[in-house]
Amino acid sequence: MSFLRIENVSKVFPGARQGLFGRAEGFRALDDVSLSIPRGASFGLVGESGSGKTTLTRCILRLETLSAGKIWFDGTDLHQLPPQAMRRLRSRLQIVFQDPYASLDPRMTIHDIIAEPMVIHADTMPLSARQRTERVLELLLQVGLRSEHLFRYPHEFSGGQRQRIGIARALAAKPEFLILDEPTSALDVSVQADVLNLLHRLQDELGLTYFFISHDLGVVRYVCDDVAVIWRGKLVEQGPVERIFDSPQNDYTRMLLDAMPDPDPDLSPFRRAQTTGEIA
Amino acid sequence: MALLDIENLGLAMTSFEGETQILHGIDLTIERGEIWGMVGETGSGKSLTGLSVSRLIPSPPGRYTSGAIRFEGQDLLQADEPAMRRLRGRRIGMIFQDPTTNLNPAFRVGTQLVDVALHAGRADPSVLGLAPGASARALKAAAKARAVEMLDHVGITNPAERIRSYPHELSGGMKQRVLIAMAMIGKPDLLIADEPTTALDVSVQAQILRLMHALVHERDIGVLLITHNLGVVAQICTHVAVMFRGRILEKGPVRAVLKHPSHAYTKALLDAVPRAHTKRGELRGLGGIDMEAAE
Repeated sequence: MSFLRIENVSKVFPGARQGLFGRAEGFRALDDVSLSIPRGASFGLVGESGSGKTTLTRCILRLETLSAGKIWFDGTDLHQLPPQAMRRLRSRLQIVFQDPYASLDPRMTIHDIIAEPMVIHADTMPLSARQRTERVLELLLQVGLRSEHLFRYPHEFSGGQRQRIGIARALAAKPEFLILDEPTSALDVSVQADVLNLLHRLQDELGLTYFFISHDLGVVRYVCDDVAVIWRGKLVEQGPVERIFDSPQNDYTRMLLDAMPDPDPDLSPFRRAQTTGEIA
Repeated sequence: MALLDIENLGLAMTSFEGETQILHGIDLTIERGEIWGMVGETGSGKSLTGLSVSRLIPSPPGRYTSGAIRFEGQDLLQADEPAMRRLRGRRIGMIFQDPTTNLNPAFRVGTQLVDVALHAGRADPSVLGLAPGASARALKAAAKARAVEMLDHVGITNPAERIRSYPHELSGGMKQRVLIAMAMIGKPDLLIADEPTTALDVSVQAQILRLMHALVHERDIGVLLITHNLGVVAQICTHVAVMFRGRILEKGPVRAVLKHPSHAYTKALLDAVPRAHTKRGELRGLGGIDMEAAE
């Protein structure tokens, strides 16, 4: 039984107006996308810029309407829900954004940032102000920050710490499903490693389901169980990470894997070309 | 004589809290045909080292506290601004990280390329294939021809037409190619590339790396490639320098450093990169390593 199921979803953005009644042909951002994520799994979505990754997440969060298809979340059809029910359901479906420098309000303290989802979802999580603060503290510790950080402002934190704050905020409403939209692409590799390990630990502790979007194939392989490759709005290949990475069937997947630079100098295509050239 | 010789470079920056020493005695020598990768975390001073070579750090707040940067024997720290202007864009080419902010959105890419070509041509007409003392008109025509030729060279299809495009009409990869064309148009001897592929997709990154690699071999130039991506370094660099808090911890041929790192920090940095065979929980951040002890 899948937790999130996307069935034949298409999204067409309308083209520019032409004349009084005319319209240019629309842009097909998603074309017949189907995938299914079981509860507790980590599902990776890989693709280059403009491939439709972000459009798909916006469709899951119902920030976009669908042109065709259905999205099922734990047995309910997301796009048929009345707005109020959708609002309640959003507490179970949270997102961590790509850029930790842009996604935290610079005028809010860390406490207010992390407490905000609990205020918004007060009807499903009735907490007093004191209880909220306690939960914020608990979340801070959970993501590896300390209690003295509670009343500081975002500018006082490094990129990695900010991303931890973003993760704590996403966890505040006790979600079951977390969308991670390139959560480490703005971070140094050293910091990235810590954040990825944090995500692993949280998944074990809280039984979360991850939908992990990235263009870094190494990161996806490290975090995910299953992966789908998206290209110009179409899923070209999907399956278990080992299968996709070790024996890709699709030309585009193969190209992506070949383009990924490996930190082993002996695997460099340039060096290979050079040495064979010297021998010849 | 080495192409570029950085010796004991020290740089301090002034802020509200007083002066902070940013670079602590950087030593680095780049010969022709070498691609030096400079890796390190955010704030380790790799970009400031690159900017120092082209003397693009305003003073104040920057102040060189020690050392010399010798470009073919000439100390750039002693050079005046007109002398630096003759070097920049002609002998020393630069590529920066973000192709979107480094092109002027109000001008066609051709105009911007021709500007650089003219600048280089005025300093040395032979760059544009002209004899010394060529007329302004001849310079302009040659600059334009060269702009088209360079665009073609960096793999932009239909360059004669593309030269009339504005930056917003081009994709990220194409803009980065335009910037590389701009850096290479003056036939530089030294290329400083500060995170040239960070903003790009992996497939485009591969193309750009291939292009840079080809240019180095064709022209026998030296490159200082600043990046935080060890994969990129392993692919195209001949040498690598690892920076940490304003110091070079370790440097040498790329295979020696990446295969047998002698410094604990380099090892930790390599362990932080997820690879094909890394199992869950095996990845290590740098949180656990005690840098003071490692130094």
